[in-house]
Amino acid sequence: MTLIMVVDDDQDLAEMLGIVLTGDGYQVDLVNRGDEVMSAFALQNPDLVLLDVMLPGMDGVEVCKLIRTVSMVPIVMLTAKGDTQDVVAGLEAGADDYMVKPFNSSELLARLKVRLRRTGVETTTGLSIGNIKIDQIAHSIIRDGQNIPLTRLEFDLLVALAKEPGRVFSREALLSEVWGYRPATDTRLVNVHIQRLRSKVERDAENPEIILTVRGVGYKAGVLGSSE
Amino acid sequence: MSPIFSRWRSSLVVRVTGTIVIISILIISLLGTILYNRISTGIFDEKLHIAIADAQSTARSIQLQLQFAKYQDKATVKMVANEILAVPGATENNPAREVALFAFPGVKSTLIASGTSNLMLDTSIPKSLRLETRKSPSTKWERTTILYADGRTQEAIAVGHQITVSNFGRYEFYVVYGLSQQSSTVALFARSLSLAGGLLIILIGLVTWFVLRRLIGPVRDAARIAEELTAGDLDQRMDVRGSDEVARLGYAFNEMAVALKQQISRLENLSMLQQRFVSDVSHELRTPLTTIRMASQVIYGSKDDFDPSTARSAELLISQIDRFESLLVDLLEVSRFDAAAAVMETDSIDLVGLVRESIDYVHPSQERIINLIAPADEIMVDVDKRRIQRILRNLITNAIDHREGQAIDVTIRENETVVAIGVRDYGIGFSSKDRASLFDRFWRADPARARTRGGTGLGLSIAMEDAKLHQGTLEAWGQPKRGAHFVLTLPKFAGGVVDSHPISVVPRGEQLTEKEIGEL
Repeated sequence: MTLIMVVDDDQDLAEMLGIVLTGDGYQVDLVNRGDEVMSAFALQNPDLVLLDVMLPGMDGVEVCKLIRTVSMVPIVMLTAKGDTQDVVAGLEAGADDYMVKPFNSSELLARLKVRLRRTGVETTTGLSIGNIKIDQIAHSIIRDGQNIPLTRLEFDLLVALAKEPGRVFSREALLSEVWGYRPATDTRLVNVHIQRLRSKVERDAENPEIILTVRGVGYKAGVLGSSE
Repeated sequence: MSPIFSRWRSSLVVRVTGTIVIISILIISLLGTILYNRISTGIFDEKLHIAIADAQSTARSIQLQLQFAKYQDKATVKMVANEILAVPGATENNPAREVALFAFPGVKSTLIASGTSNLMLDTSIPKSLRLETRKSPSTKWERTTILYADGRTQEAIAVGHQITVSNFGRYEFYVVYGLSQQSSTVALFARSLSLAGGLLIILIGLVTWFVLRRLIGPVRDAARIAEELTAGDLDQRMDVRGSDEVARLGYAFNEMAVALKQQISRLENLSMLQQRFVSDVSHELRTPLTTIRMASQVIYGSKDDFDPSTARSAELLISQIDRFESLLVDLLEVSRFDAAAAVMETDSIDLVGLVRESIDYVHPSQERIINLIAPADEIMVDVDKRRIQRILRNLITNAIDHREGQAIDVTIRENETVVAIGVRDYGIGFSSKDRASLFDRFWRADPARARTRGGTGLGLSIAMEDAKLHQGTLEAWGQPKRGAHFVLTLPKFAGGVVDSHPISVVPRGEQLTEKEIGEL
């Protein structure tokens, strides 16, 4: 059974989230304080974390950073502020997606489904992008013989680009492909995650060779061997 | 000329110093001239007295000599006459003293011939003096110039006498005194006077300049610092020394700067408090709203099990939560504008595409009620997509709500610098009285009617703020029963301004009323 850890200091909202998620067939673990997350995380090893930004004990963004040091688990931030700074801070700390309060339960469930979707079970093997080999079965990438760990979302993003090497993906296209349904205007998600992904897979994030920017359009996969 | 003139115009120090120097030059020249005249006249008069006294005694002694001589022989007379004319020439220490003896014209029995001393020319004695001397026996004098045969000249006084010697006849006798010493004294004095005057003027100029600089300096500093304060550097202060009037100016100025800084930081704090409040309200309201919304959705999900009135209540609950949320969003947006905390996120986007998108969003049905008139398939502009989309959706929604079954025209026009979007409906319109309050918060043209439509009453006021944030304009025109026309005009590029209006807010064919002309 899929375990979702809900971290929110608002007891009523946490309980409501529990009702909705349990109703959809998930197992739910509720945590009320930011500084209690890590111990609970180690104990429960959840499949996804729903994380509020404003938390007692420890800020949600800090919690997010801490989780990322030990796990690549999908993290969805819950933010009461639609303000760019908070959203970007959460995404840069390693969150995969975010929901702005107040949200619909149906929208939340749809998002979680996408984040929990198993990728890499497709038959395509030996996928590569630039000089990076993507092992979809082992769910990892290998660059220069080294295994580089990626979050599931980063992996999905890289696979999406690698599957169609010639195609230039607009930010909107990547949004619907990788994040599922999103308002088309919310391209910050794409920008921040492309930056995070580049910092992991590129030799020099300032001069990307694997994920190339197409000015005014979007992104595309680098050509094999172009970086040799 | 013009840089000097502009210095003169712009600098008080230059102007005042210049004026004072010019006035000093005039006064000192006048005083110098008077002094020079007085002194040179005095020196001359003194010489004249001496000369006249000397000439009179010389004339008397010559008269005696000649009277004695007439009893002697011719040779002796000749000798006496030569002696009279044998005067020592001028040296450095002795100024020139020449004599001249002329027989009266027409006198035949003269023993002594006319003559002058030291090769002085006859013409050295002015004709007028000679006429005067011949007229009466009294002493006459006149200023003249000694002319020597070798070409030398000298300023001088000539004093004339008649000498009458019976049997010998009448003679004109002149003694000419050179004024070289007096001239050089006067020249020396004139030189000293000019030098002193010149130095005095320079001194006055320098002192004036220095004093003014000391006085004006703090004023200049104050002006410079005021400019820097205006430019936003609130930490600038004047350098205050002493306790005189200038220092008081400095103190007052610095106190003003401190007060200004306090006031500004107080306002900044208020603005920060406001932003904090907005963000707190946002968080505190949104969390329970999320719970309510999720709970209502759970209830709504099982509405089939309820009786009809409970089921309808669940529906109302859902729709009112949506309305509450949009009201909350709008209120927060308005308070962000009020706190000047609204931030633009500018992107290069296709405005025509955005207008199409907004039309489709507001009116997704196939029924064509909106005509889009665009000059091109794509117009790229630098705008905050979310804000412009919000304006467009608001204007189009308003037009649909008030169209009274008529079609709507959405027009896009552009030029090099600006782009305009006009949304025109032919519905109920509004009166020119209503136009004034159209953009006011929570204002409704017809309360009974508009309330049922939903909408927050903040849409147009937010649209206006969004337009202003883009340095753009949002104008409205309306006539009862003839429809309304809203025109959004935006600079195409970030940092641009609206310098023209490609779409006039008054639609073609619609007359301006007198009142509207007055308001424009």
